[in-house]
Amino acid sequence: MGRSNASRNSNNYEIIKEGEKVSEKIKEYPGHALKAEDFKEGKVLTTKWRPNAKYAWSAGIAVSRFLKELKNGKIIARKCNKCGRIMVPPRMFCEWCFKPTDEWVYVKDTGRIVTYSISYISAERGRLEKPMVVAVIAIDGASENMGILHKVEGVDIEEAKAGKLFGMRVKAVWKPPEEREGAITDIMYFKPLEGEG
Amino acid sequence: MNMSIEKIRDPRDIKHRFGDMEADYIYTLGVAGERFFREIKENAKIFGTKCTKCNIIYVPPRMYCERCFEELKDWIEVGSKGTVHTFTIAYVDENGNRLEKPEIWAFIKIHGTEGGFIHKLGEVDIEDVCIGMEVEAVFKEKEQRTGSITDILYFKPVK
Repeated sequence: MGRSNASRNSNNYEIIKEGEKVSEKIKEYPGHALKAEDFKEGKVLTTKWRPNAKYAWSAGIAVSRFLKELKNGKIIARKCNKCGRIMVPPRMFCEWCFKPTDEWVYVKDTGRIVTYSISYISAERGRLEKPMVVAVIAIDGASENMGILHKVEGVDIEEAKAGKLFGMRVKAVWKPPEEREGAITDIMYFKPLEGEG
Repeated sequence: MNMSIEKIRDPRDIKHRFGDMEADYIYTLGVAGERFFREIKENAKIFGTKCTKCNIIYVPPRMYCERCFEELKDWIEVGSKGTVHTFTIAYVDENGNRLEKPEIWAFIKIHGTEGGFIHKLGEVDIEDVCIGMEVEAVFKEKEQRTGSITDILYFKPVK
């Protein structure tokens, strides 16, 4: 489409240079730029619409059970008997063996920080008063490096900045049973495991 | 047990969450659309643009002739009467909910013009609708008009 010799941007749109005409018939383009006030003051007619884009997102069989077990204060995994991997979060299909996984296995609520990041903004994009450590935690009892993403509290932020949290042993801090609702937030955060370095 | 091949037909059968995508938008009508709907809003008149070279009046109006690419500057009042080019009967609304009373939707060509638009037919029984039927626009009262296609309530048969 368009002129074969035209210069193009990264989206392959033609770049029209100033003073360059696309068509001899169009001397200047009709219409005019609009400002936000023009909409507010009703200078131009508009159509407003809110598409009805509701959805229900299902957690699937494996994660539904995982979340249900969180309500009981337990972390559950799925095992593939062919490769022997214990996977958390659980999945119903082994992507290594291309076969359904075989059994449910409870794992511990302790683990090791595989990697982490320091966040200065909240999920709502507001600035946090205190920076937050978010980590990938390999769960004890599951296969190597199988784990979940969660908050870590009770660590020194300067130590975190210095990169000293890699490999740190941590334990889940659960909400009281009556407050749990079958969500990942039933674990409030992970904290350093006492008595270990 | 082979759970992974179990089919889930309804996402609400298992643990789920609801969401609503907020994809609101404001659409401007463009130069030709702006004038077209202003005339409807303020004067309850339907206007088209005329290509003198091709001798065609476009309704809804265009800025350029689709045949000769000439810029169109002649705005012509085309009246509010036209013919039913084709029609369909709707038993459900846009969300798929059953309507209490079926609605007749037609593609209407305004007399003497090229093009046309889709609108509802009123004051007519389903059994009496036919292709080629002459219809005319019924406008809302002036104070209720907002500059939208719904300023025309419906088209009714010309008696």
